[in-house]
Amino acid sequence: MDLDALKANLKKDFQKIVSQAELNQLKVKYLGKKGQITEFSKNIKNLPPKDRPTFGKKIGELRTLYENFVLSSQERIELEVINESLKKDRIDITLPGSFKSQGKLHPLTITTKKIADFFSSKGYLIEDGPEIESDYYNFDALNIPKDHPARDMHDTFYLENGNLLRTHTSPVQIRSIEKRGAPLKIICPGKVYRSDADKTHTPMFHQIEGLVISENVNFGHLKNEIMTFIDFFFGPDTKVRFRPSYFPFTEPSAEVDIMDKKSKNWLEIMGCGLVHPNVIDMAGLDSKKFSGFAFGMGIERMAKLLYEIEDMRSLFSNDIKFLSQ
Amino acid sequence: MKILYSRITKAINAKPKIESLCDDLTLIGIEVDEIKSFQGDKIIDFDLTPNRGDCFSTKGLARDYCAFKGKKFSSVKKVSFKGEAKFTKKIKLSAREACSAYSAVSISNLKLKKKFPENIKKSLKAAGIQSIHPLVDIVNFVMLESGQPMHVFDQDKIEGDIEVRFAKSKEQIKILGEKNLKLTKDCLVISDKKEPIAFAGISGGLNHSVSKKTKNFIIESAFFDPSVIKGKARRYGFQTDASQRFERGVDFNLHEIALKEALLIIQEIYQADISQIETTKNKYFPKKKLISISSADVNQKLGTNLNENTIKSILNRLEIKLIKRNKFNLTFEVPSHRFDLSIKEDLIEEVARIVGYDNLPQIKSNQVSQHYEKSKYDFVNEMKIFMINKGFNEVINYSFLDKQSLENLGIEEKSISIKNPLNNSLSTLRTSLLPSLAANLEFNINRGQNFLNIFEIGKSFSNTSSKEALNLAGLIYDDEKFKNWNTNQNYDFFFLKGLLEDFFEEFRIEKVSWKRSKNVLLHPFASADIHLNRKLIGSVGSINPSFLKSLGLNKAFFYFEINIESLPRNDLEKLKAPSIYPISQRDFSFEIDKDISYEQVTECICNSSKNFLISSRIFDIYDGQNISDGKKSIAFRLSWGSDKKTLSEEDISKEANLIISGMQKKLNAILR
Repeated sequence: MDLDALKANLKKDFQKIVSQAELNQLKVKYLGKKGQITEFSKNIKNLPPKDRPTFGKKIGELRTLYENFVLSSQERIELEVINESLKKDRIDITLPGSFKSQGKLHPLTITTKKIADFFSSKGYLIEDGPEIESDYYNFDALNIPKDHPARDMHDTFYLENGNLLRTHTSPVQIRSIEKRGAPLKIICPGKVYRSDADKTHTPMFHQIEGLVISENVNFGHLKNEIMTFIDFFFGPDTKVRFRPSYFPFTEPSAEVDIMDKKSKNWLEIMGCGLVHPNVIDMAGLDSKKFSGFAFGMGIERMAKLLYEIEDMRSLFSNDIKFLSQ
Repeated sequence: MKILYSRITKAINAKPKIESLCDDLTLIGIEVDEIKSFQGDKIIDFDLTPNRGDCFSTKGLARDYCAFKGKKFSSVKKVSFKGEAKFTKKIKLSAREACSAYSAVSISNLKLKKKFPENIKKSLKAAGIQSIHPLVDIVNFVMLESGQPMHVFDQDKIEGDIEVRFAKSKEQIKILGEKNLKLTKDCLVISDKKEPIAFAGISGGLNHSVSKKTKNFIIESAFFDPSVIKGKARRYGFQTDASQRFERGVDFNLHEIALKEALLIIQEIYQADISQIETTKNKYFPKKKLISISSADVNQKLGTNLNENTIKSILNRLEIKLIKRNKFNLTFEVPSHRFDLSIKEDLIEEVARIVGYDNLPQIKSNQVSQHYEKSKYDFVNEMKIFMINKGFNEVINYSFLDKQSLENLGIEEKSISIKNPLNNSLSTLRTSLLPSLAANLEFNINRGQNFLNIFEIGKSFSNTSSKEALNLAGLIYDDEKFKNWNTNQNYDFFFLKGLLEDFFEEFRIEKVSWKRSKNVLLHPFASADIHLNRKLIGSVGSINPSFLKSLGLNKAFFYFEINIESLPRNDLEKLKAPSIYPISQRDFSFEIDKDISYEQVTECICNSSKNFLISSRIFDIYDGQNISDGKKSIAFRLSWGSDKKTLSEEDISKEANLIISGMQKKLNAILR
């Protein structure tokens, strides 16, 4: 067989094959003991010595050609094998995933987090305190002495041991001042209790309070902090009003309302004020040197606005259909 | 406090629209609760803050409104009244500080001259005050208008003179409304020769009150010190129109004027013999308070830039008069109706109120810098995130529940009861979160759920020194054993144990050990107590079936509760570079006695191979074919490594042989 025919055969054969077995057969066909290239190479013996180098070179080219064919076919066949096996792996990708379990945080936790994140990012430390409180921390230290009419504002649950369930998170302010002194910047989220139950009140609810104590704190600072918070929580186009109110532990005291975008009604969202000098003194600081502001809001009310909840009590029904939304 | 719109417009001598009137009042701190139509008029229900006793009347509201609007208001008209005969009884002020001024007048031979005025009846009805007797109605009307409570006695029932004194021990009084009060020595009473005839400033005595048959009357109008009245009515569980006003403070210059106003109305309607007004006053009668303040004080607190004249004129509108000034200070005199003003800050609030809170500046500040500290709140939040990622939904339950639900579980012993619960089902603080979560389960099962996984982080309370503890509790319930199409998850003890092991790993809590549970609420043989540094911190397991009935359930659930307050807060502080040398692994299978626990085996392995052992992981437990009776096969994959070198075959064989011989010696284990 002449060289050109052999080259043409090589090309034809290798293009045809699709499997490893066929490839192996071709290897035998061309390079086996009686293979075509092997046989062709043997012709070198019959040539005169001067023609042998030229012929040897031709054989070399032929073998390179062969090896390239083997390599490319090998690659092609391997790819074919993978493609075949991939077809067997075909699945219905519309079936649901295996692990189907993701819980949800309670709406009050999410609301608290949204508020706490804001103040936390502004450098407030987050404090906590006991839910069973003494008369002193819940009332006296907050400038609400015994028989003060303001105690009427708090329908207090008393315990048999003489203590009470805290009616607000304000005792934590006092405990924090006592623990850390001044300057100080804290928020305290937590559960509070009042003997009240209807569509807008539950006997247990949540508050978050903030307190800043430093030198020369004024009402303008308080307003700025509250306004920035309201922008963050309700959006910068929210209409806000501050109006005078009364808390024994702040003077001046204010109530903050925002205008409901739908109903155009004013909604009360929090109370605030400059810390009453009696409170600062009672907590062990000098009110001539230090002043401060405090603010507090009900988490349920904020959650109600955030999620448009109608009945406050649904927050404590713990119906999984409500919670897993 | 309910007041007619028409009375207010009369008092302010103008007729603003009700909405704008209410808006203005709101802006000066007088909150409007509700507006209701009433007999062609409107009733405005005000929610007064306890400091503003001065606004507890039509004229009081009008006075504050006019100050805000810059309108003239004359609160006190000159009232003159002259009686006929002398008042015959003597008035003795024995509690001299508690009652420093007392006026009284006697009335007899009452004869109607003209029709009793409708507007008085209407005002009382609007305010929710019962009509009792025409004279009482008149004094109550004057109270609504001026703020001064007065009381009418039946003169013929009073024996001897009138004395204002503190109650004697064990003294009692039956007040209007038939309530019998056992008085204490700090209760102020009006008394005659024999007994208390009124609980001063709070309520008249029933035995000396007027009726239709009464012929001779005495009207009392007095000044009682607020500190004596404060909280007294509340102590006996009630409030009256008088007590609410007196405990906030009634204008100390008002009692005689108001009495005269009432007498003038009486004279207009009735023909009557009215005595001269008998007034007794002593040296404890209050003087007007003085407060010194500078414009710097005001501006420093409000962040404003108001000058002295502005401050002076604002306060003047509120009848707070400048009476003295020097280089540093302005001294103001507080009017007799403002009991709430006593320190600088109080005056500053008054300035702010009139300026308008919304007109005060907003000022940026960044004066407090603190170093971040991870708080308990942060820690708890991380735990909540952990739990929801494990598939659990967060619930929040009341801290109080029915005592019975604790008794049913036998966990009521150290419980704390609420003295004044809202109702019996909320009477006791929970000693565990279990009853709450079990109730949530029952609730949700009744609503068609057959799978539930919930958790709560909340406090449990006990009558011990620690009082309250913050707990994490989780519950999982799977009724149907419903499987996802290709997942085979068993919600059992090991599911919760695995969750808790992940939890402890996540929060870097080491030295946790698991002991067979002593918690009677849980299955005695398939539950564990969790110990941290040998201290019990919680338990996990299936609920003991004997409690299911009292929990209203048919099928068991798995539950855990741990005290998270006692957990150390180990934050990641330093990251260690991992070893660059490879890890070597080998599998071992031992045959051991069935009763030997996994814990015993791992302990033995760890004690036997002390060098290079990184982890031992159990991958199989088996008993049955090819295993002798009373034995089990337990298979481990052990990993060794070093951060100093690649371990040689020799190193590993040495460790492996130590384990095999250790297991043989200590646990009689045979390598399979």
